[in-house]
Amino acid sequence: MDRTVIHLNIADFAVAVERCIEPRLRGRPVIVAPPAAARAAVYDMSEEAFRAGVRKGMALRRARRCCPDAVLLAPRPDRYQRAMTALLQQALPFSPRIEPGEDDGHLFIDATGTGRLLGPPVDLAWRLHRRVRRHLDLNAIWSVAPNKLVAKVASRLVKPSGEYIVGAGEEALFLAPLPLDLLPGMEAADLERLHALNLRRAAQVARLSRAELEVPLGRRAGLIYETVRGIDASPVLVVGERPAAAALDHVFETDTNAGPILEAALYRLVEQAGAELRRRRRAARRVALVLDHSDGVRRARQVKADPATANDFLLFALARRALHLAWTRRVRVRRLRLVCDRLVFPPAQLGLFEAERRAARRRDDLMAAMDRIRRRFGDGALRMGRTLEEASV
Amino acid sequence: MAASPANNPSCRIEIGTSGYSYAEWTAAGFYPQGTGAARMLPLYAERFAVTELNYTWYQMPKAPAVARMAAKVPPAFGFAAKLSRTLTHEVDPGAWRGQAAQYREGIAPLRQSGQLRAVLAQWPPAFERTPANRRYLAELLDALEGLPLAVEFRHPSWAVDRVFAELERRRVTLAAVDTPALDGLFPPLDLVTNPDLFYVRFHGRNARGWRSGNLQQQFDYDYSDTELAQWAGGRILPMSSRSRAGVIFFNNHVRAQAPRNAETLAGLLSEQGLVPNGALSAPEAPRLGTGNWKLET
Repeated sequence: MDRTVIHLNIADFAVAVERCIEPRLRGRPVIVAPPAAARAAVYDMSEEAFRAGVRKGMALRRARRCCPDAVLLAPRPDRYQRAMTALLQQALPFSPRIEPGEDDGHLFIDATGTGRLLGPPVDLAWRLHRRVRRHLDLNAIWSVAPNKLVAKVASRLVKPSGEYIVGAGEEALFLAPLPLDLLPGMEAADLERLHALNLRRAAQVARLSRAELEVPLGRRAGLIYETVRGIDASPVLVVGERPAAAALDHVFETDTNAGPILEAALYRLVEQAGAELRRRRRAARRVALVLDHSDGVRRARQVKADPATANDFLLFALARRALHLAWTRRVRVRRLRLVCDRLVFPPAQLGLFEAERRAARRRDDLMAAMDRIRRRFGDGALRMGRTLEEASV
Repeated sequence: MAASPANNPSCRIEIGTSGYSYAEWTAAGFYPQGTGAARMLPLYAERFAVTELNYTWYQMPKAPAVARMAAKVPPAFGFAAKLSRTLTHEVDPGAWRGQAAQYREGIAPLRQSGQLRAVLAQWPPAFERTPANRRYLAELLDALEGLPLAVEFRHPSWAVDRVFAELERRRVTLAAVDTPALDGLFPPLDLVTNPDLFYVRFHGRNARGWRSGNLQQQFDYDYSDTELAQWAGGRILPMSSRSRAGVIFFNNHVRAQAPRNAETLAGLLSEQGLVPNGALSAPEAPRLGTGNWKLET
């Protein structure tokens, strides 16, 4: 059966939420950024500010030069989270499979097989759009497509408002004329390599076979081969279901390039990811680290976890290796993102040697004891010394 | 399927359904099991000669997509396209002229291929005959001049002779509708305001679901043979005698009742002396009336 995915997207979500609360902001350029931070970056901006040249992640000082008459608001993640919950509630009656973004105004709704109960998916999307406007006063872009990838691109095309319907079988033709940087999953390095070959549009890349793409792209060839054709089998998750990964962010209040501070923040992320994995009774087979520098450059590296692990000590060793692979520039770092994915059930295979087994058991016992203490007395009851480095700065 | 009335052999009647892409029609047996959405239009075109495009109401048509769609059907297959909601339901006074131009552009491939039977402006139930709405309607009809226009009113205040006379002057088709017998709806009429085309829409008579806001309830209705026979003899025959062509659509899509009723009506019109001549499908392809699919109950 053909799949039908609806994508609902509130453009400039943070600004849209702030405008609901303060209608006088409507029509005026708005920048959302932490004003107190020394090297604050733009969190979100209105369409007016975007047109004036402001971009997400841009240094606030530069953004203000681009758009001097913009209203500056501090980010209020709690508000955006509440608005996201309200948005999700509007969609709940329409499908059991609804996947929200990370408080960013994105919602994927799987409308496959709902036709007999709720009518054609296109009508469902339009009704949902109307519901959101009536109940939340938010103007959502909506698109209907055979998968998440195509639905997301379709929404991007009509931003800041509008709708787009892509029929089944039309995916590749729809993407063909589009520039590659509009396609989700394309990384800067991929674009660089493809641009070097003068390949700038999806149709140009779609003419190449998988083997031909492997020459410039290596292991990424398979993913990009499918992306330019609009192939995406990833499911819309069931409401409440979490993606098969533990992903956590840390944004430094003041950008830094001090090793101990970076490692302290990284350890905190590892502790949270590890706790989440153990709670879900899963272990990660891959640890990835994404660094966002002050100048907007992003570096990402990943290392394989063999065997899969959910133990903080082992996860940290892997994450630290990924950090040092990614951290090759002297420019200060604004944000760290840790992703533990390729989740599996914890491996049951014991070590071959007694000493190895004993060390593993001690590590796991220590972890279990720490988890018990934290469950009983709270997360702050027990801290690793290296995380105090961050607190002391 | 096409038919010609005995007293007006030149009148070409085409019968179809409002939309063709319904997954539930596969479950009902209209499409073969496993038919994907991309294959539905060619299969539909093997059985019917015309369809009404609903998606153009939700989204402004885009010429490349329309051209690709037209390439999937035989050249003689016809389309009636709904006017976009931004021109009928959600009108922005400052932007609608641009939208009208965009619509013309989007629908142009069907115009050029001679497959555009009509552009249907369906008005919301709250669109009353007020001076402002009359002015807007007149301006919109001017802006879309040259297209084969049809209008479907849902507010009864438009059922007055002055409106019909103006439509006649402009050669704009007044869509005849079959709806439940509820207060506040536009009455079913057999007026012909445009000798080039008459247009009939069967919405079903589900009075309970009509105002539910859910299309699955609103359009869940199975016409009886008697009801269809009354329409065939009482309204469609006289309309066909005053027109050169006519299109008839069934909108009661739920559980594939629409194509089934369309088949029945085609048979009835044939009995009334309207001879089917619409051999649009390939000779070996299944036709209406072959009884190779059933209504799922």
